[in-house]
Amino acid sequence: MTALDARTVTIGTELLPLVKGPITREDLKRYAAASGDPNPMHTDEEFARNAGYPGVFAHGMLSMGYLGEFLVQAGGVGSIRRFRARFAKLTWPGDVVTCRGRVTAVRDEGAARLVDCDIWTENQEGERKLVGAALLALTRPEA
Amino acid sequence: MPSRDMIGRLLSTGTATVAAEHIGAFARALGDLNPRYLDPREAGGSGPCGGIVAPPTYPIAFMTQAMAGGMDTFLELGLNFMTLVHGEQEFEYLRPVRAGETLALTGRVADIYEKSGSSGTLDFVVLETEARDTEGELVFFSRNTLISRRT
Repeated sequence: MTALDARTVTIGTELLPLVKGPITREDLKRYAAASGDPNPMHTDEEFARNAGYPGVFAHGMLSMGYLGEFLVQAGGVGSIRRFRARFAKLTWPGDVVTCRGRVTAVRDEGAARLVDCDIWTENQEGERKLVGAALLALTRPEA
Repeated sequence: MPSRDMIGRLLSTGTATVAAEHIGAFARALGDLNPRYLDPREAGGSGPCGGIVAPPTYPIAFMTQAMAGGMDTFLELGLNFMTLVHGEQEFEYLRPVRAGETLALTGRVADIYEKSGSSGTLDFVVLETEARDTEGELVFFSRNTLISRRT
């Protein structure tokens, strides 16, 4: 079951949002361990403060992981062909991360209906943190 | 500062087998409990998306695990580690990564450029990594843009 319907998808269609968090420091430690990212900027408060930040902040790839879940929710496992994100602003512990997206183009290629989307994450204040795009291949409906 | 002479240089290679446990730990760390990442009983047959598969951003963890080498070339880039940030990430997928398969990774320095702004000069380094299966078929491609500010 996927959230995007290949029969009705069109330019401007909004993808079903996905809400994650609020992010905890424990989430950052777990992600650091599972992803093999040793950067103490995400796990060591003192290190982050010495580097000039108010404290630890989330891995950009943690939020991109949330966008990955959001895209699979939209198109299903194996539907993503391209997926990119720019880490425009930092995401902090306590932030609620909402993944959103909007369809920008639809075309058919063989048995696939290809859907381009603008995607982003935003926090509880509506501030955009990750900004990117994705190309999903949905199964083309019977004519 | 990074020299443009490094463009095209091989950064690292590595071969590793994708462990279902590693996929599971990664998916749980994202709070993504999709049974396709966690439960072999949900395995969808033997097709390109069959068996336990990995979440879309799992390649980042797999690359870290499989390409532990390459540090010398990375240091040679001369990035300022105190200001180094991950600026952008891009993936292209031919199919999902599957548990139990062995992938060969090749990472290269794809581009080096600089931009000047109000906070000084920023150095951009673009690293590209491709993953191929034992048949030599491309499985995924990753493009990672790192940014460091000169101090």
